[in-house]
Amino acid sequence: MIGRWRYWRLKTKLLFLTLFTSALGISLVCISLILVENQNYRKQLESELHVIGGILAEQSAAALLFTDREQLGSIISSLKRIGTIRQACIYTPGGAVLSALESQDRRPCPDIMQPLEAGFVGDAYQLRMPVTLDNETVGHLYLTSHLDVMRNHIRTFVLVTIAVGTIILLALVVLALRLQRIVSEPILTLSETAERIARDHDYTIRAPVSGTDELGRLGSTFNDMIGTIEQQNRRILESRDSLERIVDARTSELSMANRELEAFSYSVSHDLRQPLRAIEGFGQALEEDCGEQLNDAGKDYLRRIRAASVRMASLIDGLLVLSRVSRQPMENESIDLTNLLHEISDELMNIDDSVPTEVNIQEGIQVVGDSRMLRVAFQNLLENAWKYSARGEKRRVDVSAVETAGSITIEVRDNGVGFDMRYIDKLFVAFNRLHTPSEFGGTGIGLATVYRVVRRHHGDISASSEVGKGARFDVTLPVSRR
Amino acid sequence: MDVRSILVIEDNPDDQILTVRALKSASVDSPVIVLEDGEEALKFLFGDGDQPSRNVESLGAVLLDVKLPKVGGLEVLRHLRSSPLTQWLPVIMVTSSDEPADLLEAYRLGANSFITKPINYREFVEQMTLLARYWLKVNRVPNASAVRSF
Repeated sequence: MIGRWRYWRLKTKLLFLTLFTSALGISLVCISLILVENQNYRKQLESELHVIGGILAEQSAAALLFTDREQLGSIISSLKRIGTIRQACIYTPGGAVLSALESQDRRPCPDIMQPLEAGFVGDAYQLRMPVTLDNETVGHLYLTSHLDVMRNHIRTFVLVTIAVGTIILLALVVLALRLQRIVSEPILTLSETAERIARDHDYTIRAPVSGTDELGRLGSTFNDMIGTIEQQNRRILESRDSLERIVDARTSELSMANRELEAFSYSVSHDLRQPLRAIEGFGQALEEDCGEQLNDAGKDYLRRIRAASVRMASLIDGLLVLSRVSRQPMENESIDLTNLLHEISDELMNIDDSVPTEVNIQEGIQVVGDSRMLRVAFQNLLENAWKYSARGEKRRVDVSAVETAGSITIEVRDNGVGFDMRYIDKLFVAFNRLHTPSEFGGTGIGLATVYRVVRRHHGDISASSEVGKGARFDVTLPVSRR
Repeated sequence: MDVRSILVIEDNPDDQILTVRALKSASVDSPVIVLEDGEEALKFLFGDGDQPSRNVESLGAVLLDVKLPKVGGLEVLRHLRSSPLTQWLPVIMVTSSDEPADLLEAYRLGANSFITKPINYREFVEQMTLLARYWLKVNRVPNASAVRSF
């Protein structure tokens, strides 16, 4: 009841409240009226009966004295005209019945010498009184009265009271229906206004305000509040617009910079390679066509010129890959890394199998990311493993993966020459090399590219090594990115 | 046996010399015609109008640089593919860069092959040998008059 009460409409609540309290009041009034009426009627009945008894005693005293049954009979039968009298008995002082008005159920007169309950007993009122003449008891009198008349009277009274109460209640309903509007209407209007504002986000709407009572004050406070919201909303929208303009401007600046960068790397790739190709090509032509005119030193210089141009070209290629993995849009796909690693190691095996090689790649490594970028990254890592373990008697490369909550760590280990941990800071920085070109060739861009790829995947990379005991790279990637 | 010529469209003089030399080294005995830019190429191939000129009939293959002054290589390729007389002519796109966008666009427009000019000259000679063998000897294209009657 209380729970459901919360979901009632305000109108219903007001109506219910009015009805409930007035019904309660009317019922209380009716009940007390009925009680009072009941009490009054009883008293009236009682005193009526006592008066009749008194008159009867007075009239029958002489007849009793002379035991005049005939006289007593006529006195008694005169009582028949009084409808409420059920039974009347007149006794001698010794208790013998001298005359009686028989009741309809023909009950015998009670024994007057026995103690007798007086007053309201069951469905009757009983009265006994001595008949005296000059302070001498000449007989006894017994009277009982029906309560039917009283009951009928009370019943009628109750019915009338209920009818009147109901009519009053109905009148109150009609009145309450009209009057509740005075309270509920402003609240309903206010609530509808609030709903409309919330639905349409139109903060220019105001609630109509009438009067200066609490409801009127609530309305104007509400309007003030909406006014404040309107102002703040306008300010927020303005600042959002200006932020959007700034973001748009920045975005277009950035995309212009990006386009420029793209054009730049395109022309780097195209224009820087062309002269190198010419140097290499004409060097080759020179060697083929005029080789006989050069001495050994000349041929060596020529070979160095050509080797330098090839090295320069691989530097350019490395830089292009680095810039590409930095600016290319990322794809997000599920990748069978084990398969990818096998492909790379097979390619490497084909290029360099000068040393007996053992490759162990854990089965079923799955990662999420950009397959082209991850291929570039792991290509670099495996190439390094290959390159730096080319001097030993046997090359061994292990790749395994450990999955933890939210991320997967891929471990690439080799048994190569390793590096000095003192220089770890330089490891992932472009153009920094930990080995001289005469030890191991390289551009110094590979691990910088790996780092860039891993960072773009929101992952991390770390390395550990000991000189002569191989190197280990740990690549950590998030398991799934949305 | 008619000896068809190879059209090389290449703006860089160094690359012109190297390409001609590489074709010679690849034992290609076809005559080589060298043009400098896209505009010149279109004039050679189509004269002043849209119809292919007679020059087209003697061509066996075209080596077309992607990046050319005035009219780009991809534009020349589009023209070649839009005419029934030249749509079967083998066109090998040549580029210095390995931008994937160029490669995709070239194949979309109907290039027969796409090569990135390697820095190493010997590799370039190797590529020229393979291309000449494929497009001039193994895979002969119906001549222009046959296409015309078709």
